[in-house]
Amino acid sequence: MSLSETTPRQPLLRMEQISKQFPGVHALDQVDFDLYEGEVHVLLGENGAGKSTLMKVLSGSVPRDSGRIFIRGEEIHQLTPERSQEMGIGMVYQEFSLVPALTVAENIFLGQWPRKKSGRVDWEKMVRQAKTSLTSLGVSIDPRAEVRQLDVAEQQLTEIARVLTKEPKIVLLDEPTSALSDTERSRLFEIIDRLRSRGVGIVYISHILDEVPLVGQRVSVLRDGRLIKTLPVQETDREMLISMMVGRQLAELFPKESANITDVVFRIENLSVKDELYNLSCEVRRGEILGIFGLMGSGQTELARAIFGLLPLSSGHIFIDGKQVAIHSPTDAIRHGLGLLTRDRRESLVPMLPIPPNITLANVSQLAYSKALNLSSERETAKNYIQDLHIQPPALDRPVLYLSGGNQQKVVLARWLFSGAKVLIFDEPTRGIDVGTKAEVFSLMSQLAKKGVGIIMISLEMPEVLAMADRILVMREGTFSGEYQAGEATQEHLLRSASKILGG
Amino acid sequence: MTEKPHVAADRSLPERGKSPFWADGRPLRLAQGILLRGGPLIALLLLVTYLSIATPHFLRASNMVNVTRQSAITAILAVGQTFVILSAGIDLSVGAVAAISASVAAVLITQQFQIGGLTIGPLHFWAGLPIALVIGILAGLLNGLVITRGHIPDFIATLGTSATLRGIALLVTGGLPVPSHLTATELKGYLPDEMIWLGSGSLLGIPVAGLIALLTVIAGWYILRYVALGRSIYAVGGNREAARVSGINVDKTKIWVYVFSGLMAAVAGVVLAGRLNSANALMGDGEELRSIAAVVIGGTNLFGGEGGVLGSLIGALTMGVLGNGLNLLNVSAFWQRVIQGVVIILVVIFDQWRRRRFAR
Repeated sequence: MSLSETTPRQPLLRMEQISKQFPGVHALDQVDFDLYEGEVHVLLGENGAGKSTLMKVLSGSVPRDSGRIFIRGEEIHQLTPERSQEMGIGMVYQEFSLVPALTVAENIFLGQWPRKKSGRVDWEKMVRQAKTSLTSLGVSIDPRAEVRQLDVAEQQLTEIARVLTKEPKIVLLDEPTSALSDTERSRLFEIIDRLRSRGVGIVYISHILDEVPLVGQRVSVLRDGRLIKTLPVQETDREMLISMMVGRQLAELFPKESANITDVVFRIENLSVKDELYNLSCEVRRGEILGIFGLMGSGQTELARAIFGLLPLSSGHIFIDGKQVAIHSPTDAIRHGLGLLTRDRRESLVPMLPIPPNITLANVSQLAYSKALNLSSERETAKNYIQDLHIQPPALDRPVLYLSGGNQQKVVLARWLFSGAKVLIFDEPTRGIDVGTKAEVFSLMSQLAKKGVGIIMISLEMPEVLAMADRILVMREGTFSGEYQAGEATQEHLLRSASKILGG
Repeated sequence: MTEKPHVAADRSLPERGKSPFWADGRPLRLAQGILLRGGPLIALLLLVTYLSIATPHFLRASNMVNVTRQSAITAILAVGQTFVILSAGIDLSVGAVAAISASVAAVLITQQFQIGGLTIGPLHFWAGLPIALVIGILAGLLNGLVITRGHIPDFIATLGTSATLRGIALLVTGGLPVPSHLTATELKGYLPDEMIWLGSGSLLGIPVAGLIALLTVIAGWYILRYVALGRSIYAVGGNREAARVSGINVDKTKIWVYVFSGLMAAVAGVVLAGRLNSANALMGDGEELRSIAAVVIGGTNLFGGEGGVLGSLIGALTMGVLGNGLNLLNVSAFWQRVIQGVVIILVVIFDQWRRRRFAR
């Protein structure tokens, strides 16, 4: 390691006591963080731990409530995205910020297209330079291709290329490998090494533990918006990092209870969706939690949407309680006893409406338009669910917009409880909610299974699936590529079935 | 570096995030909240106060009746428009629908016409009225179908139907007012007394037009608050995707919304014809924009999902009082347009500011 331990150097970046609150969530609570030249500092934490928020504070897209930021010893007071760029900070976002309808080259130089003397865009130069920067990343993407035609990994690399063309001194990578294959990932690590040798400081956000020793020199663990510890990577091991990230025992985190698994409640046969899903067949029994694991973009969300009538089937049949049902819309799906917790809670909730109408929406939607609503019984219903699911704060007239992510998720869950769903599809149920609420959602999931509900749990998080599911189906490119019983599967099994390269 | 002990109980700590005023007991914020939420009503009251001081004519009973009649048309249209805007749409055709409904009804009521050799008419008013309402409903249905089946933005679709319907109305009336001097002398007839009563009559000293407006507001309020359709409208306008995932038929909801707006426009058209003693194909021009302005002044979110008809009633009254007041103050008609435009912009700026304040 080139880091000399003896000379105290000035850090490239120092963040002191950074705090940030969002309505209902303490996203960052007095977090300290620093970064030296030529260093990769891994920022580790569960979803919702505050990693992304901390980086957004640094990139200027989220203003901090309090705390100080120094870059090369100089205190930075007002940090806007422009200012942050001027200071040499480049951020690769987790959610892409590319313009799909423009070409790769146009995206790489977005807003700073090379000009000719006449002021017109110098297309040739732009394409040439884009080509150069893509090649230096070791990727062969056509700079003239439209971004929307690229696959997720190519988009990710384009995004990285865009940030690097500005030659930043500090690079923030927010879960850069979540969409990458193993080869692409090792190529990214090479790029990171090259940047490091040039003295660039890199903040590497991840929740994948195995990557830590591969890329990082130091690691900081965040949990529920607080910094737990910063350590040199050599002084850590897997177990230690897990316990710091999770902060509790595994059994507490995944309150799996054994349920009585009985007859088949839900079955699909040869289900296909054009260009997305190919001949999928599976079944779910009462009381069973069927885990569906796959890398991002393997068709899991499409499967959920197809079952729920949100995507038209090109072929296949759906059976509920042994009877074939025709599902052309969510209305049909709900009538036949299905429920869907969408991947994005914002896709399920009506933000300006308070809790009661949001809970009863799936029932109201089944009524004739002329039917009168019983507002007082609606409020009673809501009160009961607020109590049962510990929804905080228990305000009946406050728009759900102001609830925290976890509580919003509970409102959606309450909706499907109230609709009396026999089969519930959870599409990434714990995305972006804090660890404690996560455990509550899992506990509710277990209780539902115990009551005989069939559950399909889609997740990108292997530990979740392994801990909660009775049976796991692995998806790859729109097909089922593996099936495992609870207990027999390991992370390695799942990953192997999920990735393209066998034995990779 | 100290490791802070973390326990699950932390989650139950009271939230320290900024809350909207009703979740926060402090009186200052409460007052602020009332000021922000009650903005439209306060603005109307200020306007009324100013005008009653500025001109002695304003508060006279005869002028109040006048203001009521002027506001009634806008209010009725605004009730329909509120439904549309709540569902995140916009209906630019309400003026045209009012015109075609009233014109066709007026033609049927005042003229003879032939179908397959049979000479029919002139129809009685109570036969003509339902026809006008059905025309409004059909026009709304047309809007709804064009938008949902043709996958066209609401704005463009209703702009198109608006022009089309005005054209048809011109064809039906031959471009003449109904009754025209020709038909009037021939049939010795004007619009029937019942129709004129709807527009210009009074019941127990209250203008009938105002009572009709009030009825539509009550009906609209009831549907939005207590009926499944109303809830679907808020859901579709508040978050179309969430409404869909919750099993609401978004297209069907939108079609009903436009049908309702068409019906309201037909009611407004008949009342307007009664007030003017005449119907014509170009009547109600600009009423679509006045109704949108009334809805927005009333605090309904132009992007859907938030608001209601009570606000729109206040908005319509504000527009009516403003127009009336400017007349009484002898402001020239040209300047009135300028002032009305500026007022609409100011109100919406205020509304946006208010919303931003609420959001964070």
